[in-house]
Amino acid sequence: MIEFQNVSYAHNKGYGVSNLNMSIPAGEFAFLIGPTGSGKTTLMRLVYFDLLPDTGQVKVNGYFSNKISKRQIPNARKSIGMVFQDYKLLTDRTLFENISLPLHVLGFKTQEINSRVEEALDLVGLVGKEDHLSFELSGGEQQRACLARAIIKEPDVILADEPTGNLDPVASFELVRLLETINETGTTILMASHNYSLIKGRGKPIYELKDGILRVR
Amino acid sequence: MYKAIYLFSEGIKNIWRHKMTALTAIISLSISLYIIGLLFLGEGNTYKILQYFRTKYKIEVFFNQEVGNEEAVGLIHKIKKIKGIRNVTIIEKEDAIRIFKDQFGENIVDVLGYNPLPVSAVVNLERNKKESINVEPIIKSIRNIKQINEIKYQGSLIRKIERNFKKISDRLPIISLSVTIIALLIIYNTIKLSIYSRKESIKTLELIGASRLFVKLPFIIEGVLLGLISVIIVIPSLIITVEAVNYLISNFSTFNITLGTDSSVFFKLILMTVFITFFGSYRASSSFLK
Repeated sequence: MIEFQNVSYAHNKGYGVSNLNMSIPAGEFAFLIGPTGSGKTTLMRLVYFDLLPDTGQVKVNGYFSNKISKRQIPNARKSIGMVFQDYKLLTDRTLFENISLPLHVLGFKTQEINSRVEEALDLVGLVGKEDHLSFELSGGEQQRACLARAIIKEPDVILADEPTGNLDPVASFELVRLLETINETGTTILMASHNYSLIKGRGKPIYELKDGILRVR
Repeated sequence: MYKAIYLFSEGIKNIWRHKMTALTAIISLSISLYIIGLLFLGEGNTYKILQYFRTKYKIEVFFNQEVGNEEAVGLIHKIKKIKGIRNVTIIEKEDAIRIFKDQFGENIVDVLGYNPLPVSAVVNLERNKKESINVEPIIKSIRNIKQINEIKYQGSLIRKIERNFKKISDRLPIISLSVTIIALLIIYNTIKLSIYSRKESIKTLELIGASRLFVKLPFIIEGVLLGLISVIIVIPSLIITVEAVNYLISNFSTFNITLGTDSSVFFKLILMTVFITFFGSYRASSSFLK
């Protein structure tokens, strides 16, 4: 689960988030919307402890922002899968190597890695592209590869920061559908987007962030 | 165990994935290590060269005419006791006639009807002193023996050689240290640059939950391997350089100096490379970690 209690964070340049309160129970799919610069990415970074709040407390899967040590952060991230707008795939590695990376971090055996990568590729529809380098894939394929990398370790939480930002409407719709399928297995998902038309009417809670202030829509 | 194997293989794969960066790094590392290696060899051989020159230092001592061979032997024992003298060889009156004949082609006794050549001695100086030799006190001590008529020695040449040796031995450690530091900085920056191009990868690895060690280890392995590849190139290059210099010396000079390639130089070079590449890649990868 993800919980924010009176969380504030200010960047050096002044902007950030202010007095956020939010609770996303385990297994829920929630959307986070807001215009560019409203603080969505800051909120996401607070969830995966890339930023620590100035005041208040963030609680994710039993880790508390005010108690977590630098050494514990990698452990906290092991139960979080992340999907980025700019994919963050390693350009010098093949699709297979990119997707299998989190499993190597966790120390999985080769056999287990092979079977999990196969499953993940099948789920995101990238079977047959294992040996392609990331830049040889289209934007939509790279985003699905990023999703496959996030889900392969079967995380408790998936954070998707503007995952549809670089995709066409059809690919965007498919990606949200894919996230919904993953959510059905019990994975908590928080997806940030500025495309309200994509997320409305899905029956999921929507948090709106504007000028660093959060409200439930 | 699987993780360790993976990280080690990633270190090797990284070299292959970034062939051009690795090649540039190897060239840069090799040049730096070659310069350091030359300095090590220079340090090891400077003293050897000086020892060779010292074998050529010669002090000729001529005794008075009335000193006979037997008396000269006693005087030579006195000279031998002077500090800084390695050995003394007597040249008896009869030897002097032979030497004169060898040099001028005529027997001096046949020309003059008697032997005017005195008993003399050749004095060799101590050559294994690490500090420079001052020949003047030795000459003064020899001159104190009243049966000595004349002393011939290459005073200015000895002084020049010893002075230059002192200059070199005083400055070489400073020059070596400065050049070594510059070379090490080049090595460190080469490693840092090769990692800099992949700082985004480091960030991504951090975000997917990789520990600091997991991120750093492949870079450290890669850096050390690049260093070892460079050393493998540099060691034969240094041996070839020494052989070439020895060949040149033997062809263009009457000197007979043989420069050596001590295996400890290579050992030092390998050890230093492993240390600096390990330290360099550790520091460089750390600087890109949050």
